[in-house]
Amino acid sequence: MVESKRERALVTGVTIFLILFSIAAIIPLISVISTSFSSKSVVDMNLVTLWPKEFTLDSWKYIIDRPDLWRSFFLTVGTTVIGTILALLMTALFAYPLSKSEFRWGSVIMVCVVIAMIFKAPIVPYFLTVRSIGLYDNPLVLILPHILNPFNLIIMRTFFKQFPKELEEAAFLEGCGYFRMLFHFVLPLSKAVMATLALFYGVVLWNQFQHPLFFLQDTNWFPLQIKIRQFITDDSVMMAGTASTVNLNYNERTLRAATVIFAIIPIIIVYPFLQKYFVKGAMLGSVKG
Amino acid sequence: MILKKMSLLMAAGVLAISTIAGCNSSSTGDSSSSGQTSANEDGTVDIEVWGTNIGYKAITKGSKLYEFYKEKLGVGVIHPYVEWNGGTNYLNQLNLKIAANEMPDLFIPQQGIEDSLAKNGAIADLTDLLPKYAPNVWEAIPQEMWDVVKANDPTGQGKIYYIPGVVEYGRYAGMIRQDWLDKLGLTMPKTQDEYVKVLEAFRDKDPNGNGQKDELPTGGREQARWMDHLFAMYGVAMFEGYPEWDIYNGELTYSAVTPNMRAALEFAAKLYKEGLIDKESLLNTKDKWDGKIQSDKVGNYFHWVEHGNLILENLKKNTGVKANFTVLPVPEVEGYEGFYTMKRFAPPQWVIKNNKDENKLMATLKLLNNIYDKKNWKDLFLGVEGMHYELKDGKAVKLPDDKSSQENQLLNPYSTLATLDFTIGLFNSTSSKDSKWAIDQVTRNMKEAQKYAKVIAGDGMPASVYDSFPDINNRTLYVEYATKIILGQYPIEKFDEFVDKWNTSGGEEVTKRAREWYAKVQK
Repeated sequence: MVESKRERALVTGVTIFLILFSIAAIIPLISVISTSFSSKSVVDMNLVTLWPKEFTLDSWKYIIDRPDLWRSFFLTVGTTVIGTILALLMTALFAYPLSKSEFRWGSVIMVCVVIAMIFKAPIVPYFLTVRSIGLYDNPLVLILPHILNPFNLIIMRTFFKQFPKELEEAAFLEGCGYFRMLFHFVLPLSKAVMATLALFYGVVLWNQFQHPLFFLQDTNWFPLQIKIRQFITDDSVMMAGTASTVNLNYNERTLRAATVIFAIIPIIIVYPFLQKYFVKGAMLGSVKG
Repeated sequence: MILKKMSLLMAAGVLAISTIAGCNSSSTGDSSSSGQTSANEDGTVDIEVWGTNIGYKAITKGSKLYEFYKEKLGVGVIHPYVEWNGGTNYLNQLNLKIAANEMPDLFIPQQGIEDSLAKNGAIADLTDLLPKYAPNVWEAIPQEMWDVVKANDPTGQGKIYYIPGVVEYGRYAGMIRQDWLDKLGLTMPKTQDEYVKVLEAFRDKDPNGNGQKDELPTGGREQARWMDHLFAMYGVAMFEGYPEWDIYNGELTYSAVTPNMRAALEFAAKLYKEGLIDKESLLNTKDKWDGKIQSDKVGNYFHWVEHGNLILENLKKNTGVKANFTVLPVPEVEGYEGFYTMKRFAPPQWVIKNNKDENKLMATLKLLNNIYDKKNWKDLFLGVEGMHYELKDGKAVKLPDDKSSQENQLLNPYSTLATLDFTIGLFNSTSSKDSKWAIDQVTRNMKEAQKYAKVIAGDGMPASVYDSFPDINNRTLYVEYATKIILGQYPIEKFDEFVDKWNTSGGEEVTKRAREWYAKVQK
């Protein structure tokens, strides 16, 4: 009885701590949401803390009316989806042969992969390379450089290695080739690793910032993260004689808040469903080296 | 089977994509590496210009602003979009472009990049070119400033490699609520004692009349910035919270390590203790501090005088109060000569590619010459009708900022060479009826602020004196000690410890370099 009482106390304590912790984590978010729904004046005077004051949708109207933001949004969604699919395909096609012991050059290629993973190219040669294959100021730069990641490749290869040999041997006897093997047996049985890697690739593609920053000049192709950055940075230089924005019912701060919320909505929606794969992903490939 | 087919299709797609990309590469390669450029049909030449763009649209061939610049300045300006990101990303991109052998024809340098470019001969030596081909630039900038630029030549040959940004007037001052003074029956403080009495009255006598003791007599922002007015009365050279170099004890010295700074910090700590400085001063972000000013709570702040109209108009919108801010004359302290710090040198404004292509080099110089031509300034400031300004009752009024539709006004005289008359003229000619009261205040204050502005001796000193001492350049140590002293966590005696530490951690070397530079300028 004493044991369980202590245990219960511990559980209660932990629960309370976690609740407090999550409240602390969510308060800033709520504050940002409230700011995005408040009028310019109250935000100007630092009056908004938890709840919106002088409720207004003006900031949101401004955001939603901006075509470039939507464009970036769909561009990012598109590159993420297409990029993830392509990335999984490429990674699988590469990882499968590498997982076969009968592939003679496998170990050599593997060493190359590891070298590529450890020694990342410095930025200038990398820039020149990407440029020389025509990806400078080309929207494909949002996808192509990301579709094969050595680390993910190794995870997938390790996973493939765990496949029972007997299964494949049986299939080969029935006259099944490698491609059929991969697409009919291996991939359908690899949903766990696929989901995890999809998440890994997806997050990279969704969050990408450096690549478009370096390689894109055409603002039409700017993904969401850069657009948001443009909205929320402070370095706008005020200029004499600029028409006053006094009569608008939003200001930089409310717009910033609305943009940030706009950008994280998809993540907030998707995240609860994907969370478990994050944990799984950390364990994958950790058993067999 | 379906899966297989789909994946085959995709693989084919990938192949196709990479082939297309490959094709692109060859074509772009060709166009960029061509040597001599042919002029446009109308005889004008296009040049590529890089500069600050904080989110506006690029200037592309045939766009409205391109045509506008071509008509006004006689040169086609192509200005690709480069994310600015505080200058860091711009610099990265610029470095990459230079590595790819595609330096823009004309660009704004960042963080001292012009030094290494000049050493490598990558940017043009302007010493003879400017007087000959761009006389407007040559004459617009005072000779003593060119002398400083020559002293800054990293090759040590006294040549000119960049065109400095110029501000010809004092932009900063402490601003005080004249209407609060009037309401409390006080006169404008002349001495420090009077100033403190005024602050006390602001704190205790409810000048904003809301029955609450919520007034903040004065204050500033995080990292001990934007409270330069408290330091100004002790003659501390201070620029937006960054200690600067001036003559102390007959020699060029970093103001943070002078007895003047010690006295100023002691004074600030006293004000803080008595609640005369906003208790959150060292936490205030720009938003927070501006918010306090704009909610009718702050009696005295320090900032750009010419940005005052935004504060005034927002304050009126928020609270209905038509405030009256005037320039606070630097309060007198016995034994010190106070001033508001003025720097005529803005960071280097333009450098020119050492162009083998004569046409482009001449076009670049022609462009600069026309930018610096005073009769173009107003037009350059206004930009394209319908995009940057509109005509209201025959008067040009700037349109509100809209980054999604406006092209970047790259060639803005306001940031290139700012003079008091021009800026005041702009204000007067573009103000609307509703904002006239605020604009009038601001222009009055701008003239008034000139009385207290002093150009410091360290004006135009190159950042290279801080080479390999980034902490001194970032004033890290200063911020730590200054904030703690102001907050009362450190006694003022700790200041001496700071001076020692600063000197041993590189301050001595930097001081030596700074004085060498100054000796060169004096010649």
